[in-house]
Amino acid sequence: MRQSRYLLKKIGWALLTVLIVILLNFFLFRILPGDPARAGIRDPRLTQDAVAAIRERFGLDKPVINCFESLNPVEFGSCGVNPLDTQLFIYVGNLLSGELGISYHTNRPVIDMLKEQLWNTVLLIGAGQILAIFLGMGLGVLAAWRARTTIDFSALLASLTFWSLPTFWLGIILLFWGSSQFGLPTGGKLTPAGNFANIWEEWADVGWHLLLPTLTYTIVFLGEYMLIMRSTLLDVLSEDYILTAKAKGLRTAQILKDHALQNAMLPMVTIIALNLGFTVAGAIQIETVFSWPGLGGAIFEAVERKDYPMLQGAFLLIAVSVIFANLVADLLYSYLDPRVQAG
Amino acid sequence: MKKQIVLKLWLSLLAASLLATGLLAACGGSETDSPDTDATVPAGGSTDAATTDEGPVVLRVGWAGSPDTLNPGTAVLTEAYTIFEMVYDSMYQLELDGTYSLELADSVDVSEDGLVYTFHIRDGVTFHDGEALTAEDVAFSYNLYASQEDFPFLPVYTEFFASVEADDSNNVIITLTDAIPNIQSQLIYLYVLPEHIWGALEGTAVPEFENEAMIGSGPFKMAEYAQNEFVRLEGVKDHYLQGPIIDEAVFQTFENQDALVQALRTGQVDMITEMPNTAVVSLRNEENIELVTGPPLSPSVTDIIFNQTAPENCPPGDGLCTGHPALQDRNVRLALAHATDKQQIIDVVLLGLGSPGLTLIPDSLGVFYNDSLNDYEYDVVLANQILDDAGYLDSDGDGIREMPDGSSPLNLRMNWPSDSTEAPRMAELLASMWAEVGVGTELQALDPDALTSICCPAFDFDVILWGWGSDPDPNFLLSVMLTDEIPTGNSESGYSNPTYDELYLQQAVELDQQQRIDLIWEMQRIVHEDVVYIIPFYSQSVQAYRTDRFTGWQTDSGKVALEDTSSLLVIEPVR
Repeated sequence: MRQSRYLLKKIGWALLTVLIVILLNFFLFRILPGDPARAGIRDPRLTQDAVAAIRERFGLDKPVINCFESLNPVEFGSCGVNPLDTQLFIYVGNLLSGELGISYHTNRPVIDMLKEQLWNTVLLIGAGQILAIFLGMGLGVLAAWRARTTIDFSALLASLTFWSLPTFWLGIILLFWGSSQFGLPTGGKLTPAGNFANIWEEWADVGWHLLLPTLTYTIVFLGEYMLIMRSTLLDVLSEDYILTAKAKGLRTAQILKDHALQNAMLPMVTIIALNLGFTVAGAIQIETVFSWPGLGGAIFEAVERKDYPMLQGAFLLIAVSVIFANLVADLLYSYLDPRVQAG
Repeated sequence: MKKQIVLKLWLSLLAASLLATGLLAACGGSETDSPDTDATVPAGGSTDAATTDEGPVVLRVGWAGSPDTLNPGTAVLTEAYTIFEMVYDSMYQLELDGTYSLELADSVDVSEDGLVYTFHIRDGVTFHDGEALTAEDVAFSYNLYASQEDFPFLPVYTEFFASVEADDSNNVIITLTDAIPNIQSQLIYLYVLPEHIWGALEGTAVPEFENEAMIGSGPFKMAEYAQNEFVRLEGVKDHYLQGPIIDEAVFQTFENQDALVQALRTGQVDMITEMPNTAVVSLRNEENIELVTGPPLSPSVTDIIFNQTAPENCPPGDGLCTGHPALQDRNVRLALAHATDKQQIIDVVLLGLGSPGLTLIPDSLGVFYNDSLNDYEYDVVLANQILDDAGYLDSDGDGIREMPDGSSPLNLRMNWPSDSTEAPRMAELLASMWAEVGVGTELQALDPDALTSICCPAFDFDVILWGWGSDPDPNFLLSVMLTDEIPTGNSESGYSNPTYDELYLQQAVELDQQQRIDLIWEMQRIVHEDVVYIIPFYSQSVQAYRTDRFTGWQTDSGKVALEDTSSLLVIEPVR
């Protein structure tokens, strides 16, 4: 009973957050200056008539919301218009029927574009995250276990260094090194016109293209996991019950595995869940350096083009995944540590 | 107990996915070790493809952009037009030397009054899907462009069309509202679309048509398209005019220009259409790489704009017209022109890869460019002298001159679009150059939209560093300086000269090519004399190709555009 109330409360809050994000997304981009119908096009060949026709097709000729024709520059309008005929309600209405709209930039349905890019981003960031989590945790456990030895100091130094490396700089250095030393691809997801004999060859080619960006991502994010793993494990290792375990004559590996690691995992779950949520947002810098066709680059382009539907769609997707990951972390947390629920 | 299971599950999941990733990577790695599989080695792959008789001959082009859409009606980006030029045909083809040649038609008759053009469409022309291309398709396409209001660009080229019809003998008859001298330049971008595909679309389905199959009649046909990744085109060997020697052309997108250069260096691409000027020096010394520089195929011009709007020309309603009054004085503009060292700007901003600018009509417009004008030489002493003589003196000794009546100091606001890579350095150079003659500047970059809103028709600025792109015909660049364009927002200087306006109208209807050129040269002389702008430079197109892959690139035809069909149809693999 209590558990299901906790669950309902968490889910309720998550839904409310999504709703607020939807509204925020709508207003956020409309506060930016400039007309999306002619964003980035300073060309006299674009006539007033064409701009008017484009605005009409995208529904930009309708008031943003009752009383407001536009938000930047602020233009007041009639408050008596039918609310259902304003941009806000059309947007929300379309959302409810699963419509994310047509991109102003490419004239394609936003949902199609998001699908292509989401998969690419999840592939890249997912691989990088998993490696970073695994290696970072391993290194953290090793450093905590061998605390205050050369191993610990080297691991600490390496992690701090990796963590503070500028992503784009590391990326470009790895790109030059990898492409000239090992003939690794300098960009893209796949060799175009590769004439692949079968799907496995194609996948191998994608993996080959994934190597450098994944490596960059892993190196940059490994430090964070290592540092947190190390410090929480050190905390746990100083607890009395660990001393008891030692006194009982248990082997170190056994103490780590059965007694310490489990408790030290709690903060890790939070940070992993949070980072996995942000996975969807991609890594703009890595995607740009390696020309990886993911969401990060697409968002960057959409900002330049004032592509509202694309921005709204992408931000909604990111928000929903972060909120979902948070929810999962919350639930997992209460499961791993009953004190959370009780509190 | 339960907790432990969860944790174990979690860890084993991690391990499993890691294994999968590792396997994938290892797969990629091991595949590339074996010399037989060229699919996974991009570099080796293309070498094999280019040199063996077995695989198709694939040209790999690297560029920093990607088409925004494959629909010619709604496309905005240059990359889209590059693909259209390859996949579609139009009535005329623009050659690299600036001349036009008939493409879809084999003959054209013009009525004596210059109003009716009859094009005879070649027989036996087919679309890539096998359907015949007839005069009906041409008329359909032109009428589509003319009627589709929400196409941003192409309808403009139909503005002089009174009617377009096809007759029974495969002729297209275009009747114009006015006799115009530049019909060829109006028709080059009006790509002919298949009526049997596009005719079925109505309303918003037209601009939203993704056109993925992209059926055209050009020397290349669409094979595969992945947005922001690559475009793969297949050569149409039996094209009615000339088919390419290569089998395929792939355009791959590199969002990072350093990676683009590296891709050429490592042989992953055979040619790149652009590169940062900073890469030029290192590529020059590279083996097997040839660098090409010259005027670009699409003319563009960078201008230093003076707000010289006279109070009587200030657009009612939109106009704020806060420009510094000194800029309405030709002497001040002339002095600033003499105080501007164009060569230094070229050396610093473009690393030498540009030629000094002269008029708003760039050198890449060929015969229309008036190269007989003498530019104002860089002479600080003369510039100071001109300002002294005109009464602009530094009366309070702060290093900045004041107006002749002692009022406002010559402090100029200078703005540029924040997306420009060249403008910030240019602004700093100009600030120090103009300080030498006692003119102060306040520098600020602005978002392009914010810049548009202060620019025109508001005229709420003093100096803007910006630029224009142009058609092959100068008509539209010339229109920018018309009095009539001040309220429309196309004029960014507020310049007004009745003689110039009159000459513009004359050249717009002058059918004799040489006389039209004379008029256009005279217009450039007037504008240069009035110092409407300072044109700092004409930038160059910088491209490079690998000499060990393909040969036959057209590099000495006036303009540099290796991605143009003029090169892509004739290049062949190095044997």
